[in-house]
Amino acid sequence: MNPEKTRVVVVPCSGIGKPFGTVSREAAYELCDELRPGSTRLVALAKLVLGDEAARELLARHPAVTIDGCKQMCASKMVKQSGGTVAHEVAVLDVFRRHKELKPEGIAELNEAGQKLARVLAEEVAESLDRGEQTVKGASHV
Amino acid sequence: MSELLERKVGIVACSGEELAEGTVARLAALKVLNELRPRDTVTICLPLFLAGGAGDRAFAKLHPTITVDGCDLRCAARGTEKYSSKPTASLVVNELVAECGLQQPEGRRRLNAAGQKAVEVTAERLAALVDQALGKKAGMTAKVEEPSNAPPGDEREVACSCGSGVAVTKLTIDGRTVELVALPLIFRHLRERGLGQDEEAARELFEVVKIYNAVPPEAEASYREAVRREYAAYCQKEKTP
Repeated sequence: MNPEKTRVVVVPCSGIGKPFGTVSREAAYELCDELRPGSTRLVALAKLVLGDEAARELLARHPAVTIDGCKQMCASKMVKQSGGTVAHEVAVLDVFRRHKELKPEGIAELNEAGQKLARVLAEEVAESLDRGEQTVKGASHV
Repeated sequence: MSELLERKVGIVACSGEELAEGTVARLAALKVLNELRPRDTVTICLPLFLAGGAGDRAFAKLHPTITVDGCDLRCAARGTEKYSSKPTASLVVNELVAECGLQQPEGRRRLNAAGQKAVEVTAERLAALVDQALGKKAGMTAKVEEPSNAPPGDEREVACSCGSGVAVTKLTIDGRTVELVALPLIFRHLRERGLGQDEEAARELFEVVKIYNAVPPEAEASYREAVRREYAAYCQKEKTP
């Protein structure tokens, strides 16, 4: 994908210990690979930890969508620390609160409910991006 | 490293979401944490070294840590060393794939068969390194523990240190509030060893505290006195029924 055409950088958290982290990653893949492949670019959070120049440049040129799996909000914090602009800050827990029937389970492999939650989250972000909104509903998790 | 917390090995995976090798790194780490060495390992998300608190940054000081990276950027290894402490050992998936003559993993979201094989090989190597770090077994051959009774796919949450399981104590030193990690663990460990409260004991106590905490050289005396007082209070509290 040509980075110049990227309109939004998507940064999921690197959560490894809880199902919500896996939902965050699955939602990012859904958004970048399936829903809006032409206008999004996935960036690994680990690169921001080390201050990777290419990743920081991308963030300098494009607004970011951050998707976090826990209250630590690592993705959002790291994008801000890297000089990027968080256009959409999403917390999986907040989306789950609105979709309690979709309880995610499994870390290496999500259950069906978790996969649906990721899909719902990705769709909400995609629609929000289409409307040019700066936040998505339920992005106030603290 | 002190003998304080060596019973658990920390595993830090890069989780590189952009590459299939990052997925291999993450899934291999989970396999070790969940199935191969669940009692011997603990993990933390790499970004918490920056986004978390002092307790998170002390992770690699408190646990002998093995990093698993997907590619040559080695974000997990370099990040752990930069923000926490030097890892005990490091693995890089693409190097292991080449070394073992495996096919290239593909599919960052859903690994292909080569990727699944790479997960198996990486997890076995990682488990062997865990054994080495704990001094359980020499050599690189993985020892697989009895699988748990949980049915396939019924994963527990792995031993995750997010939000940090490491205690952080706030002390007022020279008029400033400072955070010191692991004081209760250190106090308990040293008290169990019979450490007293005289001048020599205070010196030994402070040397252990400095392993896990950065102490400004110009403020060493103040820190030492504050830690000594805190330890005395701890011992007093322990005596009280």
